[in-house]
Amino acid sequence: MRIVIVGAGEVGYQIARRLASEAKEVVVIDKSEEALRRFGDLLDVQTVLGSGANPRVLDEAGLAAAEIMLAVTDSDETNLIACLFAQALAPHLSKIVRVRNPDYLRYQEKTNRLLAVDRFINPEAETVKTILRLIDLPGAVESSEFAGGRILFLGLRLAKNCSLATVKLADLRRNISDLRFIIGAIVRQNRLIIPSGGDRLEAGDLVYVVCDKSDSKAVIELFGCPVAPLRSICVIGGGNVGAGLARELEARHYQVKLIERDPQRCRQLAGELDRTVVLHGDATDQGLLEEENVGHMDLVVALTRDDETNILSCLLAKSLGVGRSLARVNKFNYLPVVQAVGVEHTVSTRLSAINSILQSIRRGKVLSAVSIKGEEAEAMEAVALEHSGVVGKPLRELKFPRGAIVLCVMRGEKVIIPTGDFVIEPQDRIIILATRNSISRVERALMVTLEYF
Amino acid sequence: MRWGYVLTAVGAVTLCVGLSMLAAVPFSLAYGAADLWPLLQSCALTSVFGGGLVLVCRGYPERAVSHREGMAVTTLCWLSACLFGALPFILAGTFPAIHDCFFESFSGFTTTGASVLTDIEAVPRGLLFWRSLTHWLGGMGIIVLSLAILPFLGVGGMQLYRAEVPGPVPDKLTPRIKDTAAALWKVYILFSAIEAVLLMAGGMDLFDALCHTFGTMATGGFSTRNASLAAYDSPFVQWVVVAFMLCAGVNFSLHYNLLLRRFRPVWKDTELRLYLGLFLAVTGIVWIAVSLSGQLGGEAALRHAAFQVSSILTTTGFASYDYELWPFLPQALLLGCMFIGGCAGSTGGGMKVMRLALLVRTAYTELLRLIHPRGVYQVKFGGRVLSPDVISGIWGFSSIWLASFVLGALALTACNVDVMTSFSAAVAALGNIGPGLGLVGPTDNYAFMPAAAKWTLMLLMLLGRLEIFTVVILLVPEFWRK
Repeated sequence: MRIVIVGAGEVGYQIARRLASEAKEVVVIDKSEEALRRFGDLLDVQTVLGSGANPRVLDEAGLAAAEIMLAVTDSDETNLIACLFAQALAPHLSKIVRVRNPDYLRYQEKTNRLLAVDRFINPEAETVKTILRLIDLPGAVESSEFAGGRILFLGLRLAKNCSLATVKLADLRRNISDLRFIIGAIVRQNRLIIPSGGDRLEAGDLVYVVCDKSDSKAVIELFGCPVAPLRSICVIGGGNVGAGLARELEARHYQVKLIERDPQRCRQLAGELDRTVVLHGDATDQGLLEEENVGHMDLVVALTRDDETNILSCLLAKSLGVGRSLARVNKFNYLPVVQAVGVEHTVSTRLSAINSILQSIRRGKVLSAVSIKGEEAEAMEAVALEHSGVVGKPLRELKFPRGAIVLCVMRGEKVIIPTGDFVIEPQDRIIILATRNSISRVERALMVTLEYF
Repeated sequence: MRWGYVLTAVGAVTLCVGLSMLAAVPFSLAYGAADLWPLLQSCALTSVFGGGLVLVCRGYPERAVSHREGMAVTTLCWLSACLFGALPFILAGTFPAIHDCFFESFSGFTTTGASVLTDIEAVPRGLLFWRSLTHWLGGMGIIVLSLAILPFLGVGGMQLYRAEVPGPVPDKLTPRIKDTAAALWKVYILFSAIEAVLLMAGGMDLFDALCHTFGTMATGGFSTRNASLAAYDSPFVQWVVVAFMLCAGVNFSLHYNLLLRRFRPVWKDTELRLYLGLFLAVTGIVWIAVSLSGQLGGEAALRHAAFQVSSILTTTGFASYDYELWPFLPQALLLGCMFIGGCAGSTGGGMKVMRLALLVRTAYTELLRLIHPRGVYQVKFGGRVLSPDVISGIWGFSSIWLASFVLGALALTACNVDVMTSFSAAVAALGNIGPGLGLVGPTDNYAFMPAAAKWTLMLLMLLGRLEIFTVVILLVPEFWRK
């Protein structure tokens, strides 16, 4: 199984690492020798020096023998041209392409006859969507969607004086009447727990909950973390994510300030954005934050490319009195520290890129997947196949491994939070949470065979 | 400066103007032919002069036409057209003084519509038709017309086009300038034809319908009646004129888009929205003020308010009612509208909605800069960022425009014209509107002005029509240096 990755950037690296660790043949193409050296040194992959938009280089990388091509360079044009040549050189290839400029997607239908792209991904746009969901539900620490937005998968921090603390999970349902939700995972003191009925919640736990979108506000209230709606938001960093977020926020009538360090980029942003106040300066400059009254704003979102700057500017803003803060953190090992020092939310473009690429290369039956707590566990949405072991038996009788749990079932348009007596029917869409090391056993149980390729 | 080319181009345009005089001949014949000979003579004289220039100079440009040559050609063409356009009046002896003939011709070509005729209805119909036709030719622009029909002008076309249709951001509709010019004229002719038919349906005869159509579509304002549009006591006719005045004040490239069924750019156009918003707001206030004063009521109040506001805002200058009888607020609002004018790229005059909107926006941006000292701002219009060059060009235009207005008004007072009349006449001439306030109100005319004042007004009209720079630049010594 050969996979060609065009572009040795961060996304390319993470995907290559993941695939190489699963013993796939990975070939990476990039123009930069230095970037390739990092791949060659750290990962078991082959590297080819040259532009991905050059047919000779593509041929050299053995495109004809490959099954999948990922075009994930920073340049949309390089990615698209790589696809064009790939289509000419190896028409059987599946192509996954990162495209940032929405104009390309707008003409997708017309151009796809030429490019035959199987899936366009835009991790930055995904990240913006994630942040918007968090802003929409400011009480949640994390928030992702399943079933086309019908079902939310929320990470909630259990409040100190919340009535749910110390309650046994098995008794939970009796305590909370008719609110429909299910607890999928708990992160306690940096450990991931897939809970069973005997476990208890503790104050300070990060609890992962699945619920219907319409119930989300009530669930957040139940966990004791409701937050007043946000109005004024300060975005730090005017890259693609920052600018995209500011554009969405101003369309939703939030009051937005955007701080960017590069004067040239500032001018460009000032041209693109309408009501957003674009400020030129360094977000770790306390004078600027005070001058612009950032301390009195509801939320600070730090989205520069630099993790340390993001964390530091969030902390600085917090010290000035800002309500909540969100930092873009790409290094997974920072995550526990960041929340410990008081930054409420984190997002990761890298994670969302990996999520969307993995989703699209797991052929067919898995519809979407979300990694939680770094990559320790994964929530995924799959279709129950007629012949799989999960169909036709009550859930309690299924031989599910410890570390995996059926969270939710979509039958047609109906969202069902299953109990032990629930029977899955063919064509139901089921959302399963599984830890990394139980995934293969889940596969077997489902007979969905989460075949990667 | 290649004078051979410049004079050839001027000759060709003059020839076109001369030939267009023939259009008045059928009306002369139909209504007694009293003015047939002056018309034919002027046609012959003008055409011979223009054709002669072309034959003598024969300067066809091999190299690209420079910006300077474009400016010189445009200004000289307009001067030539305005001067030769006065020939029929001179030869027919319409006015005792020769400068009155020139005044009428300048006022016609620049689409001002200020008249020195005290009794319009006594003038033969052929001459009146020519008078209105000068509006129509000047409205879309004689250079644009020539570009559409004279192939050899195409070489320096863009320079000429820019000199005649300056606008803050020139937009070419088609890849070739000749096609753009032709497209604009086609739209113009189409709208004119529709209006003429509607006016005839409202009871006008062909002659009146055509003359008023020319006055409307060119945002000129010459009427064939002493009482202007007030002579037609038909709400239908007046509403039709309101609608077409408003159309003429809109950027013609938007009309072109409409005809091509591209609705989105039209719907999204910021200037159009401002222009219509301004029209509705001012009309609303005038309507209320006029209704409260008790002079007019019901539909008539609304109609006359809408008519006068659109007439002044688009710089047409037709009158349906003597607005000097209205309370002071509506009069002041109309005076304010004189400065604004229509949209860029329309046949209207004034400073143009887009320029004023940009001035306001720049000023507001300066305020924001004071609030957020480290804020970065760009001045945008219709979603497009405007470069600092465009903005400073607009500031330059506005300052020279206002300076011309003040200097012109001072020159008029020096001719012993009262202050109110001087200032409103200066803006009415510079904005190509026509009627002002005081002694040059909608029911008055400019006949009483001294000769020097009339020449001043003619200069202001030409400055306003060619949007200042094209004319003023000829007066800068640097322009003539090698």
